[in-house]
Amino acid sequence: MRFEGRIPRDDVNVSRNSMLGEAATLVAGIAIVVLALAVLVYGAVELVVRFLPADVEARWFRGIAAEAPGTGDPRLAPTQALLDRLAARWDGNPYVFRVGVMPAEAPNALALPGGGILVTTGLLDRVRSENELAFVLGHELGHFRHRDHLRGFGRRAALGLIFAALAAGGASVSFPATVSAFTERSFDRDQEREADTFGLGLVAAEYGHVAGAEGFFQGLPDAHASVAANVSSWVATHPVSAERIEAISVEASARGWPTVGALTPLPPDWAPPPRE
Amino acid sequence: MTDWIVVAVQIGLPAALLLLAYVVGTAVESRHYRSLRARELRTRGFPVVTFREAPPEWRITGSELVTGSVVISLDYFKRFLAGLRLLVGGRIRSYETLLDRARREAILRLKEDAFARGCHAVINLRMEAMRLNRTLGAEGGTAGVEILAYGTALKLEKRGAV
Repeated sequence: MRFEGRIPRDDVNVSRNSMLGEAATLVAGIAIVVLALAVLVYGAVELVVRFLPADVEARWFRGIAAEAPGTGDPRLAPTQALLDRLAARWDGNPYVFRVGVMPAEAPNALALPGGGILVTTGLLDRVRSENELAFVLGHELGHFRHRDHLRGFGRRAALGLIFAALAAGGASVSFPATVSAFTERSFDRDQEREADTFGLGLVAAEYGHVAGAEGFFQGLPDAHASVAANVSSWVATHPVSAERIEAISVEASARGWPTVGALTPLPPDWAPPPRE
Repeated sequence: MTDWIVVAVQIGLPAALLLLAYVVGTAVESRHYRSLRARELRTRGFPVVTFREAPPEWRITGSELVTGSVVISLDYFKRFLAGLRLLVGGRIRSYETLLDRARREAILRLKEDAFARGCHAVINLRMEAMRLNRTLGAEGGTAGVEILAYGTALKLEKRGAV
């Protein structure tokens, strides 16, 4: 037997195609599939939301609304009473609304599936008259009216799918909450405007005028200053712009709602506003 | 607008890191392959075989255990590419070159070890692969893989028979 020294071949155990090309193909292919799936999920959830009767929704999500926290705040009862009065102004309201107080510095309000509305203590501290609070609550009722509070679900489900795919891909790319908050926010401008209009209508029906509605916004810090600091505040999720205040007064004059009138004061034991 | 910049940074930074890892990894890899080919050519006359027993005509004057070991780990880009493969399956191309290099390097080190000890051939070559677990942060993953080549190096009275 004769030994013959050979050198190993390079092409047996190793594929010769380019790694960069493979990465590009895989990223593009997976992105297309995941995006298609996300669109499908989004569309499916939107469809369900559009045709989900409000009473079924209330039954499905009763738990969420019932667990509204913050029962210790003395301002809860008057807020609930105001909410009930406003809700009674909404013809064909299929919900039973429950308000909850969330201890948080940032002024914010949230519409939960099933008829729950959360307001932060920061928001309650800032309102100067019942009319302002009524407008905020009316605005949230507007989200229920247009089913916006459910609409976020399709978006969140689609985004969740995309992020899950990214995580499954082992991509150690971290997508902080800012990304999802951002995508949700930029989606919301039209919905916010429509909720404003609906809220204004309720306020006008309740008080006979819409004074105080825009007053609340004028007391808020500038939207641009706070975007970076806290995207989850009212300011960020409900963008306050001169445009929006302008839209409110345009809407009011178009509908013939007076923009001046006597403001209804808050109950005497309401916490003093920190401003001024 | 600021949001778009934030998103661009969040996606662009990892993408830039991936590209950097790819460029550096490719350069290192092609340099390693050049070194492998040169050393393989130089040591091609040194017999390393998997036979368990030496051919009967060899006159053995001594033997010892020789080893060649390589510990390798993944770079960011290779890990990313393998991660994509987790979703769709198929040959994990980024691991193939890595392990190929490790095996060839391990055998070369074994040869060089045997040669340095004054041996003339290695029989009963075996290879093992061992996963090194992460010692910190036990949430899965490996710290790397060791490829070990070992065999019996022989000293021969006369190399003419080989």
